[in-house]
Amino acid sequence: MQTVTLKPIKEIKISVEAENISPDKFAGKTEKDIQSLEAWMGNQKTTLGELFSVKAEGSGAAADTKIVMDGNFSRIKRIGEGMTAGLIIIKGNVDMHLGAKMSGGKISVTGNVDSWAGREMKGGELIIEGNAGYYLGAGYRGETCGMRGGKITVLGNALDFLGEHMCGGEIIVKGNAGILPGLSNNGGKIVIEGNTSRPGSEMSKGTIIINGLVDEMMPVFKAEGTEAVDGVTYRKYTGDVIVNGKGVLYLK
Amino acid sequence: MELLIKNGSVYDPSNGIKGDKTDISIKDGKIVEKVSSNASVIDAGGRLVMPGGVDAHSHIAGAKVNMGRIMRPEDTRAGIKPRTKITRPCTGYTVPNVYAMGYRYAQMGYTTVFEAAQAIMKARHTHEELEEIPIIDKGALTLFGSNWPTMDFVREKNMDKLAAYVAWGLLASRGFGIKCVNPGGGEMWGFGKNVTGLDDVVPNFDVTPKDIIVSLMKVNEMLGLPHSVHLHCNNLGKPGNYKTTLASMELAKQVKPSKDRQVLHVTHVTFNCWGGTNWGDFESKADEIANYLNNSENITTDMGQLIFGSATTMTADGPVQYANAKLLHAKWANGDVELEDASGVVPIFYAKQVSIHAIMWAMGLELALLTKDPYKVLLTTDHPNGGPFVNYPEVIALLMSNKKRQEEIKTLHEAVHKRTKIPGIERELDFNDIAIMTRAGHAKVLGLLDTKGHLGVGADADIAIYDIKPDQIDPSVEHAKIKSAFQSAAYTIKGGEVVVKDGQITATPMGRTYWVDASVPDEHTEIMMKDIRMKFKNYYSINLANYMVQDEYLTHPKVVRAGVIPAEVS
Repeated sequence: MQTVTLKPIKEIKISVEAENISPDKFAGKTEKDIQSLEAWMGNQKTTLGELFSVKAEGSGAAADTKIVMDGNFSRIKRIGEGMTAGLIIIKGNVDMHLGAKMSGGKISVTGNVDSWAGREMKGGELIIEGNAGYYLGAGYRGETCGMRGGKITVLGNALDFLGEHMCGGEIIVKGNAGILPGLSNNGGKIVIEGNTSRPGSEMSKGTIIINGLVDEMMPVFKAEGTEAVDGVTYRKYTGDVIVNGKGVLYLK
Repeated sequence: MELLIKNGSVYDPSNGIKGDKTDISIKDGKIVEKVSSNASVIDAGGRLVMPGGVDAHSHIAGAKVNMGRIMRPEDTRAGIKPRTKITRPCTGYTVPNVYAMGYRYAQMGYTTVFEAAQAIMKARHTHEELEEIPIIDKGALTLFGSNWPTMDFVREKNMDKLAAYVAWGLLASRGFGIKCVNPGGGEMWGFGKNVTGLDDVVPNFDVTPKDIIVSLMKVNEMLGLPHSVHLHCNNLGKPGNYKTTLASMELAKQVKPSKDRQVLHVTHVTFNCWGGTNWGDFESKADEIANYLNNSENITTDMGQLIFGSATTMTADGPVQYANAKLLHAKWANGDVELEDASGVVPIFYAKQVSIHAIMWAMGLELALLTKDPYKVLLTTDHPNGGPFVNYPEVIALLMSNKKRQEEIKTLHEAVHKRTKIPGIERELDFNDIAIMTRAGHAKVLGLLDTKGHLGVGADADIAIYDIKPDQIDPSVEHAKIKSAFQSAAYTIKGGEVVVKDGQITATPMGRTYWVDASVPDEHTEIMMKDIRMKFKNYYSINLANYMVQDEYLTHPKVVRAGVIPAEVS
């Protein structure tokens, strides 16, 4: 078992590309090795040691590596990008692309995360206790597949376009979601406990369940009566009919 | 600047050198008889030496290439490489940025590449991009097949006017030759329609695709252009189109070449040698095309080989791209160039387990292997339609090794066994054949064999050295070595300067842009310009004065003279 603790040693105003903060990169490395890992701050090359105090205890493989991040990381991007195993616990806020392309392991955040969290995620788990930004679990510009697997849970609210181009996996938002959740969906499951607007446009596959209010519906769904899901009765819609979609939308 | 390449195992097909140990002397960017003792020396150590690669058909610059970049940000992400002290940043795989175009070609030992289609009206954009592509020499073929003036002059049967228009169009676009894409179809697409055969009449113009092709071939030979008409056949992308392709090839018999080259180059045959009547009975008829080529003298083709994985189809054939986008449910960009042509861009992913793609993969290889004369089938992928040009080494390895082909066939959809002949073809090409299909053949087809595609005295000192010893390798078995050697040249020499060493860019000189200045009698131009001025007055959205590409757009021009009047007199 390896535990690595990171704390900011100065206020960071310029965004940092920190894809090296990942159990896969830290596994089996000494404190010094971790300190010397590269990061880009704006257009300047720097190291994790320049930005954070690093404390490492024990040693282990990626699956046995726990990273604890304590403090304000609101300008630190791409934490846990592509991670395959292990655990990251963040006590604070983080910037964009948290857990992008991750395929395993778990990230939990006590604060808020910026846009593109869990972008093109393939597996693993992402738990956000605060709010999420735009494009949660979405595909990046031009991609036809966003999230393909794994699970994202947001206890707060999420902004627009969550789960865009989703092809698999599950997203649960306990609070409200912005407009167009599940835009161009091609698989997977989205559950929104709160309110949202215009869900499921252009969806060809996948399931969206909304327990709150839907402010506005796109006129591209076919009403299919009611259906019970886990003991709750929903109005069922299928679509998007314009793209011959087989997606399912459940509304209360 | 003097350079001597010693101990190379040289393959120079047009000078009849097949693997002989010959020294190559270079002075001031040209190959010469001999150099002084002060020359710097590269010891090739028995490794493979070939002329620098030439590519007669690739989409490297212009409006639709850039449209591909705009609509495929995900592709941009696929090939990101930061700048170095020598090179600028690179992006993209199927639609690389301008810098990557130059570097990646040079790393494969290529030194000359031609953009296969530019509309005159969009030529400025093409040249703006060509000006930024480092290292390689380049040029662009100009679209004439669906232009309103072309069809008017064809209907009038006035070859003098058509010749004057072609000469003026090449000047206006600083173009190198005549490209003809789905003749007539581009115009029909403006009305949501397409032509379905060589004898369909284009409404409002009262001409047929056949008239357009034959007239352009005649004019091409009247003007004595270095390259022939470069044809993208009608009905491309439709099952059963091999008949249209054969009928188009048959038209070449009506015209005599003015030079030692073909009169018609039929391009990316992978996309127009399709048998069957629908997607269900789709099959390869590449053998029929190869058979025709084996029995005719004045036609050349290129493969347009399909590469499995991501590709971006882009063509001036607007209607075929609409059909593609509908079929694939993919992103689609459509372009209309006022009076000149149409275009379309659609991304595609070629998968081994999709029967159509597996059959198409076989088509390019069948064509190359069943055609006896390698000068008649050039190696291309119709970048990025069949796949990105960086996969040429994969194609070379497939052509040189039956073992590799059989291994690949095992991973493909079973349709490849029933609907193609490729499993039974045992022919394996040698280094000489490959040198023709990637160099000498291209240079000959383009009409640039005097300075490109060979290593004789007077040729441009464009040379590639690959890390293979031809006498010590069995390409059939060691195909992986062949592929990796062609992927990264040990040396690429461009104009006498070492631009790549061990696969790394070492220098980035600016290449030249070839264009053809064809002269016609002034009175023909005057009559023709009356019509053109009317077209601009009545239809074009821009002014004639803003239409021509100015000299400022070509900082390193290389003008090739041609025309009805001999160059000396003009």
